[in-house]
Amino acid sequence: MISAPSVGIAFAPKPPPAAAVGSYRARKVRCAVAVAPAPAPAGTLYDVLGLRAGATVREIKAAYRRLARERHPDVAASAGADDFVRLHDAYATLSDPDSRARYDRDVVAVASMARGAHHRTMAAPAAAPRWYGRRPRRTWETDQCW
Amino acid sequence: MTEQLYTVASDSETTGEDKSQMSFPDVAIGIDIGTSNCSVAVWTGHQVELLKNTRNQKGMRSYVMFKDDSLSAGVTGGATREHGHEERDILSGSAIFNMKRLIGRMDTDEVVQASKSLPFLVQTLGIGVRPFIAALVNNMWRSTTPEEVLAIFLLELKALVEMHLKHPVRNAVLTIPVAFSRFQQTRIERACAMAGLHVLRLMPEPTAIALLYAQQQQQLLHDNMGSGIEKIALIFNMGAGYCDAAVAATAGGVSQIRALSGSTVGGEDILQNVMRHLMPDFDSLYAGQTMDRIKSIGLLRMATQDAIHKLATQEHVEINVDLGAGHKVSKILDRGEFEKVNQSIFEKCEGIIKQCLADAKLTPEDINDVILVGGCSRIPKIRSVVLGLCKKDDSYSGIDPLEAAVSGAALEGAIASGVSDPSGSLDLLTIQATPMNLGIRADGGNFAAIIPRNTAVPARRDMLFTTTHDNQTEALIAVYEGEGNQAEDNHLLGYFKITGIPAAAKGTVEINVCMDIDAGNVLRVFAGVVKPQGQAVPPFIEVRMPTLDDGHGWCGQALAKMYGSTLDLATIPKKLHP
Repeated sequence: MISAPSVGIAFAPKPPPAAAVGSYRARKVRCAVAVAPAPAPAGTLYDVLGLRAGATVREIKAAYRRLARERHPDVAASAGADDFVRLHDAYATLSDPDSRARYDRDVVAVASMARGAHHRTMAAPAAAPRWYGRRPRRTWETDQCW
Repeated sequence: MTEQLYTVASDSETTGEDKSQMSFPDVAIGIDIGTSNCSVAVWTGHQVELLKNTRNQKGMRSYVMFKDDSLSAGVTGGATREHGHEERDILSGSAIFNMKRLIGRMDTDEVVQASKSLPFLVQTLGIGVRPFIAALVNNMWRSTTPEEVLAIFLLELKALVEMHLKHPVRNAVLTIPVAFSRFQQTRIERACAMAGLHVLRLMPEPTAIALLYAQQQQQLLHDNMGSGIEKIALIFNMGAGYCDAAVAATAGGVSQIRALSGSTVGGEDILQNVMRHLMPDFDSLYAGQTMDRIKSIGLLRMATQDAIHKLATQEHVEINVDLGAGHKVSKILDRGEFEKVNQSIFEKCEGIIKQCLADAKLTPEDINDVILVGGCSRIPKIRSVVLGLCKKDDSYSGIDPLEAAVSGAALEGAIASGVSDPSGSLDLLTIQATPMNLGIRADGGNFAAIIPRNTAVPARRDMLFTTTHDNQTEALIAVYEGEGNQAEDNHLLGYFKITGIPAAAKGTVEINVCMDIDAGNVLRVFAGVVKPQGQAVPPFIEVRMPTLDDGHGWCGQALAKMYGSTLDLATIPKKLHP
């Protein structure tokens, strides 16, 4: 049996629901880019499965099964539920063609934001990364509309 | 009343060889308590072995006899006496059976209503409380509960296992129907605790069978880890009390449950339908729970069971039974008539299979194997319905219909206990799925599903809600489980209040409700305010569900009556993607 996670910790490492995975990753990537500009986004769902962005459905399924053997609490007694939940969320998003297409669009948008953000001189306040991540994103969308 | 006595098999009653088992002391055993039959299995270090009782039986009847102040369960079948219990004894009113059908149900349930025609006493008040159940002991009705009966049964089963293994047994994996609510699951766990067993896992029966199927595919194909061809199996299980369906995708020893569906119809319903068909005026002829009625029910029941069994291999069967007092049944029942009488049951079976295929987003052509298990899988109509829906001529033949569930449970017991096998027989994993939606009441009386049906376990999902009134400082979180769109159509699992919400205009405060199911199927609900607009955040509340012990029917009504809509929450529309 898994001991109940403490309330303070329970939500901090919590993976977002599948529907919000894109925006969650976007916020995280935005913060990472602000601190250390990088040419490619990091920490994508493909990285959770150990794959590249162009992986086939078969590769996604095989990776999911291989990693499930290492992370499911039934077979990995030391692992908590978090690892498997994160793995399954990545698999659920990428194995469904619609949600994968939606996620890929978000990744492309994030890459564009990363290129745009590279030229800004504004420093990111580390204390409130979540708050900071929203405002520039909204500004960027406004720019796109024009 | 005299003190209760427990009859437990001892070593002196052992028959057959005295085998010393090479097994792991802390490995969990697998138990399949069916509505009518049960079995127990254990991992022996190389394979799964089903244990036999003192009468050399692998399948044992699920009942407890309360006659003459001594209790004896169906595990030994009264082997301590000169003669074992006969069918007429079990149907004499002194034995309680169908525990699995009655456990955790309220007296408004139609299954409980149908159980009033059983030989033992079942009384209902129709107000949403537990039914009154009693057995005939020394010409007196003595009350008991399904949990108590099940605990007595499990105690004797545990003694049988310990006799075989020569060491104490503590952990168990039990199979349950897909349609079991969490409320019923807690009842099963309580009965196990009363018998000294800790439930390591509660496994839906098709999931246990999927694990066994995965092991067989692993051995057949010698797949490499993480690769290999994916095979999709549809598993249909119909026993005496329930019928279940599942779609499992298997490759490389990993069995992923893609969809689960279940219903509370089974062989018992078929039996009752045929009994009513043979004698439509039975209830008017025998009023009240008299001795004549009990005897007649038993005779009619035995004759009907025998007829149904014969119809599996014959086109028609002759029924001749003398119920006494001048009442007789003399009739020829043919297969077409049998199928017509049970039309609604076969339609329900068809419905759960269609729902399973739809949930898994598969067509019948995608199914590689159809696995039929359970006692009712021998009924020709059942086979033709299931195989017809999946467009198959034959079912998968590598699995024994009556032993599959308990074998899978023993496999899961070994895997979850951390046993490793050098030959690779236990390089297996089952990714289970939730059978029902889980959520809370929101937007008035609506049901907001947070963890939808068929989500992989372990699972964690959260959803944002907001207040419905200006300056609302409290919110009622009522947790429900089920398939209905209205909250009151589902099972109420529990409730709690969030207090200390910052006073603000309605719709501006964000409240996060998170549901977490761990690998042991324990459900926890976390809730709290996440956007206090600069004010201090009150601590989150964590509640393990279900909290309700009884009366979940009228509790939901009482909550609505007491609070109305003052503590309601509303869902926040999902943000549109760019």
